[in-house]
Amino acid sequence: MDETLTKRSAVRNVKKGKKQPLTWSVIKSQRQLIYMSVPLLAYIILFAYVPVWGWTMAFQNYKPARDFAQQEWVGFKHFKFLFSDDSFWRVLRNTLGMSMINLVLGFVTAIILALLLNEIKKVFLKRTVQTISYLPHFLSWIIVTGIVATSLASDGIVNDILMKLHIIKEPILWLSEGKYFWGVVGASHVWKEVGWNTIIYLAAIASIDPALYEAAEIDGASRYRKMMHVTIPGIKATIVILLIMSVGHILEAGFEVQYLLGNGLVVDWSETIDIFVLKYGIAQGNYSLATAGGIFKTVVSVTMLLIANWTAKRLGEERLL
Amino acid sequence: MGGKSKSVLRLSMIMLLSLGVILSGCGGNNASKAGKSNTGEQEADGPFEITAFIGEAGQQPTPDNKIYKKIKDELGVTFKFEFLAGDINQKLGVMIAGSDYPDIMTANTKLTAAGAFIPLEDLIEEHAPNLKKHYEKYWNMMKDPNDGHIYTLPNYGAYNGEVASTWYSGPAFWIQKAVLKEFGYPKVKTLDEYFDLIAKYKEKYPTIDGSPTIGFEILNYDWKNWGLFNAPQHLIGHPNDGGVVVKDGKAEIFANKDYAKKYYQKLNDMNQLGLIDKETFTQNFDQYMAKISSGTVLGMFDQHWNFQSAENALITQEKLERTYVGLPLVYDPSIRDHYRDRAALNLNNGFGISVNAKDPVRILKMWDRLIQEDWQKILTWGIEGEDYIVNEKGRFLRTEEQRKKTTDATWELANKAKTLYASSPKLEGYFSDGNATDAAAQPEEYQAGLKPYDKEFLAAYGFESYVDFFSDPPENPIYYPAWSVDLVEGSEAKIVNTKLNDLSTKYLPQAILAKPGEFDKVWNEYTGEIGKLNVKAYEERINEVLQWRIDTWTVK
Amino acid sequence: MDNQTISPRQMSAAAVNRRMGRGRLEPILFNTFNAIFMTLLVIVTLYPFLNTIVVSFNAGNDTIRGGLYLWPREFTLQNYKAVFVSGTIYNAFLISVARTVLSTLLNIFLTSMLAYTLSRREYVFRKPITFIFVLTMYFNAGLIPGYFLMKDLNLINSFWVYVLPSMISAFNLIVIRTYIGTIPESLVESARIDGAGDFKIFWRIIFPLCKPVLATIALFVAVGAWNSWFDAFLFTSSRQELSTMQYELMKLLSSSMNANSNPAVAAGAGMTQDAAASMVTPLSIRAAVTVVASVPILLVYPFMQKYFVVGLNVGSVKE
Repeated sequence: MDETLTKRSAVRNVKKGKKQPLTWSVIKSQRQLIYMSVPLLAYIILFAYVPVWGWTMAFQNYKPARDFAQQEWVGFKHFKFLFSDDSFWRVLRNTLGMSMINLVLGFVTAIILALLLNEIKKVFLKRTVQTISYLPHFLSWIIVTGIVATSLASDGIVNDILMKLHIIKEPILWLSEGKYFWGVVGASHVWKEVGWNTIIYLAAIASIDPALYEAAEIDGASRYRKMMHVTIPGIKATIVILLIMSVGHILEAGFEVQYLLGNGLVVDWSETIDIFVLKYGIAQGNYSLATAGGIFKTVVSVTMLLIANWTAKRLGEERLL
Repeated sequence: MGGKSKSVLRLSMIMLLSLGVILSGCGGNNASKAGKSNTGEQEADGPFEITAFIGEAGQQPTPDNKIYKKIKDELGVTFKFEFLAGDINQKLGVMIAGSDYPDIMTANTKLTAAGAFIPLEDLIEEHAPNLKKHYEKYWNMMKDPNDGHIYTLPNYGAYNGEVASTWYSGPAFWIQKAVLKEFGYPKVKTLDEYFDLIAKYKEKYPTIDGSPTIGFEILNYDWKNWGLFNAPQHLIGHPNDGGVVVKDGKAEIFANKDYAKKYYQKLNDMNQLGLIDKETFTQNFDQYMAKISSGTVLGMFDQHWNFQSAENALITQEKLERTYVGLPLVYDPSIRDHYRDRAALNLNNGFGISVNAKDPVRILKMWDRLIQEDWQKILTWGIEGEDYIVNEKGRFLRTEEQRKKTTDATWELANKAKTLYASSPKLEGYFSDGNATDAAAQPEEYQAGLKPYDKEFLAAYGFESYVDFFSDPPENPIYYPAWSVDLVEGSEAKIVNTKLNDLSTKYLPQAILAKPGEFDKVWNEYTGEIGKLNVKAYEERINEVLQWRIDTWTVK
Repeated sequence: MDNQTISPRQMSAAAVNRRMGRGRLEPILFNTFNAIFMTLLVIVTLYPFLNTIVVSFNAGNDTIRGGLYLWPREFTLQNYKAVFVSGTIYNAFLISVARTVLSTLLNIFLTSMLAYTLSRREYVFRKPITFIFVLTMYFNAGLIPGYFLMKDLNLINSFWVYVLPSMISAFNLIVIRTYIGTIPESLVESARIDGAGDFKIFWRIIFPLCKPVLATIALFVAVGAWNSWFDAFLFTSSRQELSTMQYELMKLLSSSMNANSNPAVAAGAGMTQDAAASMVTPLSIRAAVTVVASVPILLVYPFMQKYFVVGLNVGSVKE
């Protein structure tokens, strides 16, 4: 009898969507939810949070051969090194610039491609195009940048086409000028990842109730209107959530592609935080500096994440937290 | 119903939790098994497994590899290699943090600094007379500058007698053989003469096989930066010392010196003449190699081994005239060239024995046996009759077929103890019977590999091999080479070195490509930026070690 | 025909027919544009992979010259021979398959179960648990502390180090939770009134309805598990029998690069230049390695695809 009572009150509360006070009876009524989640919480704390003691390294001159008690504490020395280095602000600018480009291009192209794929009515064609478009995801950056560099060479296909179309007269050395570099990186990312990024939107589109299309059809909606009023609202939650999560990754512009495509002539535009930290951290055996760099990135990430989440809340959109 | 799903839920929770425990238990078993075998004392000749960490990539030999099998049969020793693929700094970081070392490891200053190796000098004295003899001349050099112990056994550079070389793999200004032939096999000594030849040839032949002729290439990609950085020290007659020039035991950087400026000024001039590839600073290594192997590149500054495979591609296309000759150029004919050097002891390389090793003496005894001539012959030349033949004069030779087999990586995995040999102590030079310790250095082998084109080419100069273009290397100063100085991880010196490289990477291309009037401006900006660095810290660290070498290495 | 009596698949097909039936100019224009766009897309995205395949079948010594596009100049199987010669790759393949399958199953089950609980608005611990998981996306404790954890858990040189540390990803969790959020609440409510507990609701109702998103997540996890090599590099590199396919291939690739950049080795090679012609080069090995590494996982995709190209009609599911 007790059980049915709590069950009823639970149902009632669900209906109201109201947050319940933390009482024993609530915990008891939600014990299945607790069984299903708390062990996993313990798991993630063990695997992700426990090792965070390692952040103390950022305040030490960490030597791997020594015990924790023997480490030398140096306060904020490594953070000072980061922030006082002339090139740090330059690499920060580059990181932000390239990751904004990647973010915007990545979202826009993937959503457009998903919408267009959705308009292909022949299932076989749709699957074929989709499967092919995600192939480059499986190539390593070194292969992709190799092809990018060959295509952008003075006798490469990009210059060939532009010259045949009379857009340019002389071949352009795309990789010799800082002003093109971010664009080249952005385009390379789109090329490699657009098909892959589309997958998640296609899954979201697949969940849209066909009855909604039917209804729009009966109303005589055009293809464009259906896209705007059925498809996009149907995947909006996914878009917003992915966007919020990506904003938190604003300092993750990567390093491989910049490292592989960069050269002395564009170095002021190509180096990212990750390259900086690799060069002065890991490559020097300075794990402390690498950790300090990681902490800096985390602080920025979480701040950005909270701002994005708050903005979404203000705009009445789906929220992450 | 509800009860059933509840029990399913509970069951899955329990399974999940116990999974972790059981599984980690499995891992534990493995670990403790390994722990047990650690403590077991081995008998002198019983089976003995040596675990080895190789600090670079490599491939496991096949299980039935004939040389390892022979070692197992005769010495009772088997090997378990762990190769590195990925970043060595990351791997060493966790190995050191966890003190997880195998029995032997290839040298690394990080490992030495972490106390991962055991001192070897007393053990060698006591148990390894052959090794002692092998390293006799080099004993002091092998000592660690920080505490005076010997931790690792250098794998190269301990010579047995005079070394004659037929192959030069080091740095030089390279020029296509066709260019020299075109102008009557001139002797090219200076940078100016070199570029004059290239300019004349390019004017005469604006295209090669239909593609535009490229005068000069400067590769600066990733860590392969010597094509841009290193030439100035050679042009003033110094050997390769990395980022510094050492005069009378004192090192100083040369990046901002006038003799460096002179070189980059020359390149700037040559760029005005259109001799330098427009894409030279934006190309990656693959593009560079593609250009060289197309036969259109007349010259470049590089190390031979670096573009070796492109040259091989030219040979298979039978474009021998497009392969290269290395020229030891200097600014002025009065300067004696010093590109070719006498190989110095390969410090910070070779194996050391770890603090976790079960039986260090047994390991040392194994090397002590392998360093003897009979085993060295097996490790280099292979098995007599199978891998090489001995002619009536007692000379070692290979048939064409045998020679071909040695370049097959697949064959090598089954028939060579490549990994072990590469890092172990080895005889270099000549065996007591006069045969070379390295098949490649056997003069008969060299002659057998020469093509008629090359024979004719060498005859025109009156040379035996392409090495003869270089002056004989003088005796090395005791402290040579400065590039092997350990700058110490995370030190000011190392950071300055990184920054210096960054500046050169950024400014030198700009200077070379600058309009003639702007060269000085870029150069001054470059040297100004260098001036802001604590170059002294870098130079002092090098000088400190050079001085230590002079004090310790000099045979008193 | 009554909508309620036909299956979703038939229904959308009917809708398609009706739409196609309209002979207006706008759809024709749009379809033409779309066809051209898709053709270009296919060309641009197929090329790099095709080119890689071509390089993998071309003699390494010839590949150096560049200028290879859609057909090998000097056909050879040498590169593949080099990949398969070391017997270690077969065992590594099995290990990779095992870790991929296990990771995928565990991830799908655990992540979706957790996502269900976090989608329940009445759940008292919903917010803190969500926050704790989301945060894990934005920090990394670092290499060495991570290594110590694995060491303390006895996972070094154990197969389970491939599976246990990555059973749940916060990203996937949020994606699934968002998806569950689009499922009508009424389904859960009616089940609860029928007396179903949360686990039963999750397992019987939510889990089957999540097929499209679970197919997506399964693909993400499988590809991630298949492609990862860093764990093998850090945690199991001293036990050859636990090596994964990606790590074996990576070792092979680095060793071929090594052979070409090692002065001592190249010096010896100088002698036998003729025979050097048959040597494989890093460029060609890399291509063969890429093909060998990606083909098995590429084959997975078409199986997943049917779950999200033709979706399920959530609204039509009745308890």
